[in-house]
Amino acid sequence: MRKLAWLVWGALALGCGGRPSSWDTPYTAGSGTTAAAYGLTGSVAVLDTSLKRVSMLSSPSTLELTSHSIGLGTDLVATQVSADRNTLFALSRGVQPQRTPDDERPQLLLLDGSTTPKISKTYTLTEPMEQLVLDPQNEWAVVYGGSGVVVNLNELVLVNLHESGADALSFKTLLSFGGNPRRFTFTAPLAIPGGDPRRFLIVERDSDLVLIDLAAPEREAVTVPLPSTDTGGTASSAQVVYDADSASIAVRVTGTTSVFMLQLAAPASAGQDFSVVTNLVDVGGQATAIDFVHNSQGLRLVALVGRNAVLVDPDTATTQSVQMPAAFSGIRRITSELNPAATPAADGDVALLYGPSITKIAYFNLSGAPGALFRSIEAYDIGVPVKNVIDVPGDRYFDHKILETPNQQFYVLDLRTRESAPMKTNGGLTLEVAPDGQRVWAYNPGQPGFASVDFENLHPVSLIAERQVSNVFDIATADGQRTAVALHLAGGVGIGATALDAFSPSTAYARFYSGLELGGVQ
Amino acid sequence: MSARFGLCSGLLVACSLATEGAHAEPLEPHQPYVQASIGVRVSKVSDEGYDPFASSDELTQVSLGLGSTLLRAQRFSLAATGFWDYGARSSTARGSKTDLDVHRLTIGPEARYHLLPPLYFFVHALPAFAHTSASLEDGVAGVTRYARHWSYGVDAAAGAAFEAYAAQTGAVRPRIWVIAEGGYGYLGSTSLKMQPDSGEGPQRPEPVDLGTLSLSGPYLRVSAAVGF
Repeated sequence: MRKLAWLVWGALALGCGGRPSSWDTPYTAGSGTTAAAYGLTGSVAVLDTSLKRVSMLSSPSTLELTSHSIGLGTDLVATQVSADRNTLFALSRGVQPQRTPDDERPQLLLLDGSTTPKISKTYTLTEPMEQLVLDPQNEWAVVYGGSGVVVNLNELVLVNLHESGADALSFKTLLSFGGNPRRFTFTAPLAIPGGDPRRFLIVERDSDLVLIDLAAPEREAVTVPLPSTDTGGTASSAQVVYDADSASIAVRVTGTTSVFMLQLAAPASAGQDFSVVTNLVDVGGQATAIDFVHNSQGLRLVALVGRNAVLVDPDTATTQSVQMPAAFSGIRRITSELNPAATPAADGDVALLYGPSITKIAYFNLSGAPGALFRSIEAYDIGVPVKNVIDVPGDRYFDHKILETPNQQFYVLDLRTRESAPMKTNGGLTLEVAPDGQRVWAYNPGQPGFASVDFENLHPVSLIAERQVSNVFDIATADGQRTAVALHLAGGVGIGATALDAFSPSTAYARFYSGLELGGVQ
Repeated sequence: MSARFGLCSGLLVACSLATEGAHAEPLEPHQPYVQASIGVRVSKVSDEGYDPFASSDELTQVSLGLGSTLLRAQRFSLAATGFWDYGARSSTARGSKTDLDVHRLTIGPEARYHLLPPLYFFVHALPAFAHTSASLEDGVAGVTRYARHWSYGVDAAAGAAFEAYAAQTGAVRPRIWVIAEGGYGYLGSTSLKMQPDSGEGPQRPEPVDLGTLSLSGPYLRVSAAVGF
């Protein structure tokens, strides 16, 4: 019988084929440099790195999920979601080393994260790069840092996202005094006297700043050395802020009690588009945070130094100190959240003060007379420290902030009423604000429990999924509703999800999806 | 040219021998009233829906057959035959264990022509009924999912049977036949929307959709039969 089977099998063997190797490739959740999943406006991107693809989960209608796989480049090294959550950027190194002309090149892939996900653009790079930085205004991307035999750490590739193909790429080598790029800031258009407003890319390096004019990236960048520390050592930048209307830039520098100010001014000589005037202002101690604000006298830089808020006039470098009720170390302007029609230059700013080691928050109202600054800070004891302030998108609850604490609580703060609603969780905490700005999701990765808090009534709805939850995302459906997607990626055996109605979440109606990694295997 | 000439000559000799043999020995004892067979059927399934369940395209099945001659007209005879084929494949789909069980039942007429008393050729077109049970171990849901379906089709094949042994004495004189056939088996597609059994796994599980499965494809069957 056995011989007979072999005989027949052998007769057919010549014409027999196998299956795609993809079926023999287990699912792998993300990689060392990428997260496992990303939430976009109308879809959830779940990386499937072993198959060099991403499974895009979208929702045709509430509770309904479909999976659509899109191929990513070979050797994916970085992925990021745009600030508006509309696009997923995927940077890949391609086939390295290249052996044939057909080998896949390094590329930057842009995926449309709407309810009908698709590749929107592809930029082919000449060399493999590993770092990706995105412009919050979605006009530029920067890729840099390679791992070749010889790597120019100061070479940036600027990708103009309004352009396509090779025309979109600008190669920029920064002149270096020995430092490497560490952080990037894309500015709004800065109103430089004598010219049109122009955006800049500020590159923070180990001991200097580089200003790249994004209106003319081919022009030579301006390198500004950072001042030394108070002990004469090498300082590094800790924070960069700017004011667009005055084209002012301020840098918080480590190891010094001074703040480094830069003013972009009219060209000082022929061939220049602008000039840079620098100044060093002593604020009396090492600042923990800085920001530009407007008070009744004009633009000021606020530096939080211990229990003092020091206001610096950028024009005269004079300072004015205000004692704070606590040593706040974080500052966030909330002027437009309180009054979208306000013009800070005329009305003065309002800022929220907070800190991760104090249990108070404060409203810093800069609209009063200069002599009344002592009463401009109104503090509230909320009982827990605040490590982060999360904005609420949309136009309905833009006057709310989520105060993230270092422990298992978070606060929903109504800036208008100044009322805060403490929310206590029974586990660790990861917060996901819905892109429509109407609710926040809280969950503890690896646990089945998660919750939704609707900003309308601040009513928390606790939910227990049937499997461990690794992420929760809130996406738009194709028919204008919203579906909450609780992903089950724990164990790395596959892609599963529980889909709920985001407007009225209930596990009594939730649907369970799994095997999503098996779709589209070719 | 010489090879082709040799082949034609051989066939002519065989035909003439067959004619002489037919005169020398009655055919009827070689046209079995009842014939039971056991063998192996190997199909080539190239449908994409088969991929999650098998790393290659073969589907090997054990094959049990039963036939009976209904009409005889000299060298020609008409038989009713039926087969039950059973086979299974196991594999993994991206790390998740999969299984596929296939039962296939075919029954219908078979036309036979005896070239020699111990050698006949046949053709048949047999309506086919298949039951497939596909399963997937769902590691996320922690449950086994199934897709169980009936499908219908037809097996069209031609083959030859050779009488290898015939008992010369006794009231019942069994004859052993070696049979080989090749053809094409058509079966309609079935859905591979994998669902756990009722009450198993999470509430309101949506199916894992692996597409459709068609087990159509060419096949070979080799079997041994005993006839009376």
